Amino acid sequence: MRYFQAKISENRVLGGGYFVLRLSGCASLAPAKPGQFVMIRGAWGRDPLLPRAFSLLSVGPGGTADILAKTVGRGTALLERALPGAGVDVLGPLGSSFPEPDPETTDLLVAGGVGLPPLYMQASLAADRRQVARSEMIYGGRGGDDLVLLQEMQAMGLSLFLTTENGTVGTKGLVTRALEARLVHHRGTPLRVMGCGPNAMLWAVARIARDKGVPCFISLEEQMACGIGVCLGCAIPARSRPYRYVCSNGPVFDAADVLDVDGQPGPAVPAACPA
Amino acid sequence: MSAAVNLAIETGGIAFRNPILTASGTFGYGKEFEGLTDLHALGGLVTKGISPKPRFGNATPRICETASGMLNSIGLENVGVEGFERDKLPYLRDCGTRVLVNFFGATFDEYVDCGARLDALDGVDGLEMNVSCPNIKAGGIEFGTDPRVLRDLVRACRSAVKKPLWVKLTPNTSDIVALAVACAEGGADGLSIINTITGMAIDARTRRPKIATIFGGLSGPAIKPIALRMVYQVRRAGVSLPISGIGGIQDATDAIEFFLAGASTVQIGTQSFVDPDASGRIVRDLGARLAADGIRDVRELVGALAVG
Repeated sequence: MRYFQAKISENRVLGGGYFVLRLSGCASLAPAKPGQFVMIRGAWGRDPLLPRAFSLLSVGPGGTADILAKTVGRGTALLERALPGAGVDVLGPLGSSFPEPDPETTDLLVAGGVGLPPLYMQASLAADRRQVARSEMIYGGRGGDDLVLLQEMQAMGLSLFLTTENGTVGTKGLVTRALEARLVHHRGTPLRVMGCGPNAMLWAVARIARDKGVPCFISLEEQMACGIGVCLGCAIPARSRPYRYVCSNGPVFDAADVLDVDGQPGPAVPAACPA
Repeated sequence: MSAAVNLAIETGGIAFRNPILTASGTFGYGKEFEGLTDLHALGGLVTKGISPKPRFGNATPRICETASGMLNSIGLENVGVEGFERDKLPYLRDCGTRVLVNFFGATFDEYVDCGARLDALDGVDGLEMNVSCPNIKAGGIEFGTDPRVLRDLVRACRSAVKKPLWVKLTPNTSDIVALAVACAEGGADGLSIINTITGMAIDARTRRPKIATIFGGLSGPAIKPIALRMVYQVRRAGVSLPISGIGGIQDATDAIEFFLAGASTVQIGTQSFVDPDASGRIVRDLGARLAADGIRDVRELVGALAVG
């Protein structure tokens, strides 16, 4: 993990608020694995103050790294408007990663909206190892605008199962229904589920996988200030103890560890800890 | 940095190689910043607040960004005295900088017990009492806001602590000077001014508070003018204790402003989240800045505010 200055070399607007930033000067991100993330901050003065966390989309040759982002607030709005040549501070690669592709196992990659990047990177790794036939992408969003980089994924040879809530692209409905159908299709073969997207979607994905007895790994999101386990802002309830941290224990977790038995939020704060 | 500039300062019972420290709760237990900033270059670091037993902290969400700042309500999560000694202190002993341990308790007895146990540990250069966390009803705000209670608490800890004992004051008061005087009367060796300011943020769309405990502690550049004012008020009142200034320091110029207001050291807090090398950078820039300005000793700046 390094803290360094990088440059935006390309800013590719995809529509729907989505954009891909290509950063140069990121040679130290080369060892990054799918699921790992970076903290990024532009020359923003005093406001907005904190860096933003983004899962990596890809790390390329020559020290480039790509970030897929969607504008949701002031920080991402500034990045969406950032011009090539602009400098950014980068801290990374940070956090945990998804299990490596396994030639004996089929991986169902479940992405919701802007949760695509770590699973795109996972699929890309599988493609590099000529194992992409053992992966499929189940990718959902509210509408067609939320489904991006489809051509790139098709070019990897990745099977895509698309869903939209408004039915404009793919099957109408939630990504979880498509996951259930694929689990039925692959019944009896070694499977893993890997998910990234809104936390509510991930809990649903994790419950489905648990009920089918399929190992499941999910990449969670929480507000964080530092990315390195210091601010303790990104706490999430866990089974094994009251809290784990998205930045330093995650962002990729074995769903069995962070999912409460009932799929409800984790154990209450002990009485010894007043508000 | 020019060799001609002296940054070393002995203050609050501790000799520092320079006056740049890191603030409690924003620098973990030091090791988290290994490879990101040079701990050997710092004046010192102040650990996460330690309580007699481990604490798991508050419900989530715990933080949110605000204008030029952030709110937090972590809930004083920490590893406890035993965990600190076993898992954190070995690294800190060899980290090459002064180590102050921030500590607190839920009762008088817990404060004294915690202070005495930490005081006995080799590798701890001094203690900083947290009497000002706005998140804890039972163990924070009452101790830190009533001057008589504060004086008695400091006195009780003083009797159990041989090492330098600093007190970190809450800004959530109408009379910071009275609190500073109480600490002096209780026998403290130094003051850290200020802790976070109680604040609140609301999500207009969901109509919910942005952090689970509704109120949290505001930090970052947004609070710097308030911190400067309080440091200066305590200095101007003639309270004899040295001051470690804290509140929104982002660069060497901010640090110099705190020295002028009366602080003899400063602590870098939220900025370490923005830039993990912030404290190291400020050390480097401070030396260069003083050299450029022809100031040969950082101590010349302490309390040198020109008024009137």
